[in-house]
Amino acid sequence: MLSYEAILLLIVLGIAISVVFVLISKFLGPKNPNARKKSVYECGAEPQGSARKRFPVKFYMIALLFLLFDIEAVFLYPWAKLFRELGFLGFVEMGIFMLVLIVGLIYAWRKGALEWE
Amino acid sequence: MTLTQSVAGLLPELCVLGALVLMLFLDLLLGRKDIRDPRSTGQILTAVALVGTGLAAFFVVRTPDLPGVMFGGMLALDPFARFFKLLFLIVAAFALVFAAMSEEIPRARLGQYIILLLTVTFGMCLLAGSRNLLMAYLSLELVSIPSYVLAGFRRGDRRTSEAALKYVIYGGIASGLSLYGFSLLYGLTGSLDFRELITGLTNLAYSPQSKLVLIVAIMMSLSGFAYKVSATPFHMWCPDVYEGAPTPFTAFLSVGPKAAGFAVLIRFVQTALGGTLEPVIPWPQLIGLVAAATMTIGNLTALVQRNVKRLLAFSSIAHAGYLLMGVSAGTDAATRAVELYFVFYLLMNMGAFLAVQAVRARTGSEDIDGYRALGSRSPLLALILAVFLFSLAGVPPLAGFIGKFYLFASLLETGTMFFYGLAFVGVLNSVVSLFYYARVVKAMYLKNPRGKAMPVPLGPGYSVLLLILAVPTLVLGVYWQPLINILSTAAGMAH
Amino acid sequence: MKVPLLSAMVFWAFAILAMASAVFVAFSRNIVHAAFALLGCFFGVAGLYLFLSADFVGIIQVMVYVGGVLILFLFAVMLTGKIRNPEKSNPSRAIPGGLVTMLVTLGLFGYLAFTTPWQVLPTVPTGPTTSQIGDALLGPYILPFEVASVLLLAALLGGVLLAGGVRGRSRLTGNEQDEAPRDSGGNT
Repeated sequence: MLSYEAILLLIVLGIAISVVFVLISKFLGPKNPNARKKSVYECGAEPQGSARKRFPVKFYMIALLFLLFDIEAVFLYPWAKLFRELGFLGFVEMGIFMLVLIVGLIYAWRKGALEWE
Repeated sequence: MTLTQSVAGLLPELCVLGALVLMLFLDLLLGRKDIRDPRSTGQILTAVALVGTGLAAFFVVRTPDLPGVMFGGMLALDPFARFFKLLFLIVAAFALVFAAMSEEIPRARLGQYIILLLTVTFGMCLLAGSRNLLMAYLSLELVSIPSYVLAGFRRGDRRTSEAALKYVIYGGIASGLSLYGFSLLYGLTGSLDFRELITGLTNLAYSPQSKLVLIVAIMMSLSGFAYKVSATPFHMWCPDVYEGAPTPFTAFLSVGPKAAGFAVLIRFVQTALGGTLEPVIPWPQLIGLVAAATMTIGNLTALVQRNVKRLLAFSSIAHAGYLLMGVSAGTDAATRAVELYFVFYLLMNMGAFLAVQAVRARTGSEDIDGYRALGSRSPLLALILAVFLFSLAGVPPLAGFIGKFYLFASLLETGTMFFYGLAFVGVLNSVVSLFYYARVVKAMYLKNPRGKAMPVPLGPGYSVLLLILAVPTLVLGVYWQPLINILSTAAGMAH
Repeated sequence: MKVPLLSAMVFWAFAILAMASAVFVAFSRNIVHAAFALLGCFFGVAGLYLFLSADFVGIIQVMVYVGGVLILFLFAVMLTGKIRNPEKSNPSRAIPGGLVTMLVTLGLFGYLAFTTPWQVLPTVPTGPTTSQIGDALLGPYILPFEVASVLLLAALLGGVLLAGGVRGRSRLTGNEQDEAPRDSGGNT
């Protein structure tokens, strides 16, 4: 295994700090509950309707697009790391990869997949 | 081959990809709901796609005949791949024309249909040459993903949505299983290359403790291919998808992706499993048993179908069984027999689905009852459909008989008891299959129509296209030697 | 090979996290909770990748699966009709059959994992793998790499064309403003 002690420490500290903060406010914070305070928090506005309803397919579409370009970004990392060593050929190869996806993006865009209306 | 040579060898695929990209832009420009003349727009889109596939076919034919590997062993450039690429491009061209004629695909969405179809074609062409597990998997997914969308192309239809969903779920399971199998093969040999796999696997095969893991890995790996060719137990999606999908796509699906599955399956078993593994891992017997089960299940279930598309779906499952017999025999003669059968299968199966499409377009019916008295309502259509159905059943003197003959002959040539038995099961199945094909013919010629016998007019488009498919089915049934000559080298694979 | 105690503890923590979350995904009666439990599963698997010296794949697992696939799953779950009554949205049926399948596969693959002579590298690789992956992707694996972009394109097109048809239907979204199809805007 590589030496990931620092990351491990970060994760442990991160979890510990958030747990401790929650616990501190639970035990030390004053509590004066009333009906309004106990209602669902919806950006400060009055909650409207049930939270349990079906989401529009739009959300799914955006998430799908995000995922695809997320994967594209993943492929960019190793290339960026080796940008100088790979030279012009690497640039062209990556360019073709990006071009194919950009064509797809243009199509999705013009078809209105990104519009929220 | 160098990178430049490799790219040159990839020209056919690049043509399809180019047509695909062009189609994306054309669809944006022309494929809007408010277009003035949807008919001619559809014709323009179809024409562009046809030019793309034609150009690709030109480059396939023009490629020099030297077997070689491209991109460091990812793809093979050999007569075997060339044959299948040509087959796929012809299937795609027919499917494009079918779609342009079909009412099941709204004119405004024809561009979308063509885009997805070209993507599948691109994947199929790559699959024909894949000789690396990674490449094979990517190409397989490239065939699958647009197919899921195309299976659900008819909107607002419950059956269609259900079929598409079933297709996705079964596809996901099969794809996951085969991916797990690939990972096991990689863990065992440290390679994804078919050629290197066989050396690694052969070394392992003789140590007793790796026998089980080899069987598990090979069976799991084969499941992804089995799904594409609709072999038991991965055939369950087939009838629902064939019934729910638009008929032009069903015609395409029943030949194109199935042949693509066979292409990669044959290459995998011959180059990655090969002969040296056979004494230890009896994969030919394994595939042979799957073949027998597939054709028996397909034929027996087809007997009770009432919907003609479903009936043809089970018939296509049965045909996958016949063709798997050729795969299990594993000889060059058997490979050539499979290729020959696919040429005939293209003609008769696409023809049968085109006839179904024509009947559906004119009468709105896909049930056998809708075919009653078709012999008098539309003599030409009924006659041609009967030709296709009898050819599928393997009745002489039609092309399907010659195909079956060479397939069974290649099994008997191996001279082993197992393949004799398998051939016997195949012949029995062919006899059974005659019953359900004859049921449709009987409905067309011997049954009185329900209610009034409306004539079914067959437009010039359908007539010409049906004849283009039917005439070779008849001619090749009596004069097939030229095809044998053409295919004499088509089993050659690059090493 | 002697494994340091800390490494062993962290390994088991990740392994248990992945397994426990997976069990929760399978058996939770609430489909939203099940989807959220995938978070632990993906994260645990990412940790296991790190133990296999696959640092790049581990980070990608967090980025793509936790950051992308999980969100996609949640939206997919919230698209379903069962979301109106989430407490009974994931009825775990067919438990006996599933249990048998699980035990058989567990036994088989457990047996295979321990008895198979796997291809083992002579030394445990250390150090970041990103450069090697870049070299492989743009070198010997250039064709699969480029084909992967077409595969992503296919997924993109499939998604756009499938969801494109649902847009006009207010039944799915439950609000009225998504009528007035935007395609008519093309006239002007």
